[in-house]
Amino acid sequence: MSEPTTVPDPNAPAGLLEGDLVRRARRGDLTAYDELVKRYQERIYATIYHMTSNHEDANDLAQESFIKAYSALKSFKGGSSFYTWLYRIAINKTINFLKQRRNKHHISLNDLDFNAEHDPDLVALISEKTPHRDVNLSELQQKLNEALLKLSEPHRMVVVLHDVQGVSHDEIAEMVGCNIGTVRSRLFYARQQLQGYLADYVKS
Amino acid sequence: MSDNKNNFRDLKRLLKLKQHEIPPPGYFNHWSGDVISRIQAGETGRGHSFLEQIQSDSPFAAAFLHLFVSRPGIVGAFATSLCLLVLLGVLFADRSEPGLPTSGSPLFAQSEAAATEAGPTLVASVDTLAAPDSGITVSTNPISSLQPVQTLFGSPQNPLFQQVNFTPASQ
Repeated sequence: MSEPTTVPDPNAPAGLLEGDLVRRARRGDLTAYDELVKRYQERIYATIYHMTSNHEDANDLAQESFIKAYSALKSFKGGSSFYTWLYRIAINKTINFLKQRRNKHHISLNDLDFNAEHDPDLVALISEKTPHRDVNLSELQQKLNEALLKLSEPHRMVVVLHDVQGVSHDEIAEMVGCNIGTVRSRLFYARQQLQGYLADYVKS
Repeated sequence: MSDNKNNFRDLKRLLKLKQHEIPPPGYFNHWSGDVISRIQAGETGRGHSFLEQIQSDSPFAAAFLHLFVSRPGIVGAFATSLCLLVLLGVLFADRSEPGLPTSGSPLFAQSEAAATEAGPTLVASVDTLAAPDSGITVSTNPISSLQPVQTLFGSPQNPLFQQVNFTPASQ
């Protein structure tokens, strides 16, 4: 006896394209907006978390970004993708927050997942001849976050988006509102700064 | 400079550590529901400052306003110089008024010609107009001409609209 198969509903929010979801959300369909939130919640949260190095702040700011995006949805003209536009809101909100909280950093980090210990790059980094060979991943995590917090917000944002989240230069330029050359120069400068801050942990 | 320093190979490896900093499993299970609940509770209009509204609507205006926050010194200097410029303009305008050759003014010339044609009564009134102590300054400046300069406060003593006092002839 065969099991009943479930045919996906083409009108269900999960099966819709981003553009359709945005159109429905603009008309006040919260189910459609819920689907949009589900699609981007982890990426938006991660970006804010890596910028603030604080789990609670990231949670609040990410939720507020989605709420703000919903209220501003009528002003979304579709010139860029909803994803880019949403990112821009989250970035502005985070940078404003960090400016108000300048020099009052409270680090509250998420635990590393199980896979971190088996990541070939991280294994190679620790096993290679670095000045601190006996360092553990938690300590590295702490030092890395402290170093990131020493960068200015625009430089940290570019490193987080490109080196941590893998966003392309073009997309970053659109999200941040500057040209690609600026993105590249910021990235180079930020990496140089980080290299200096983490000289004890990164082979140079 | 070594290759390592330019390629940032080890740094990129180290940054991969950030990808493993994730919230515990199941953290996002009800996350979107919380957002929707907050929207339904009516939080959409709350807490959005004027600046935030501009940031989402017009990035250029936001960048301009951001200048006020990031470089208050420059903006202050700009505002001060603007005020000084206006002040200097007002002072120079005031100083240049009394020294103007009234007889050379086209307005005065017109008035004088008209007065000569109209006869002695009008000449008298034009003299009143052009007299420097009458409170009126004649100039080609469309803003400052015919403005009573000596009475900034109180009732204006504009000789064009002087009140007429007379005593009845019977007394």
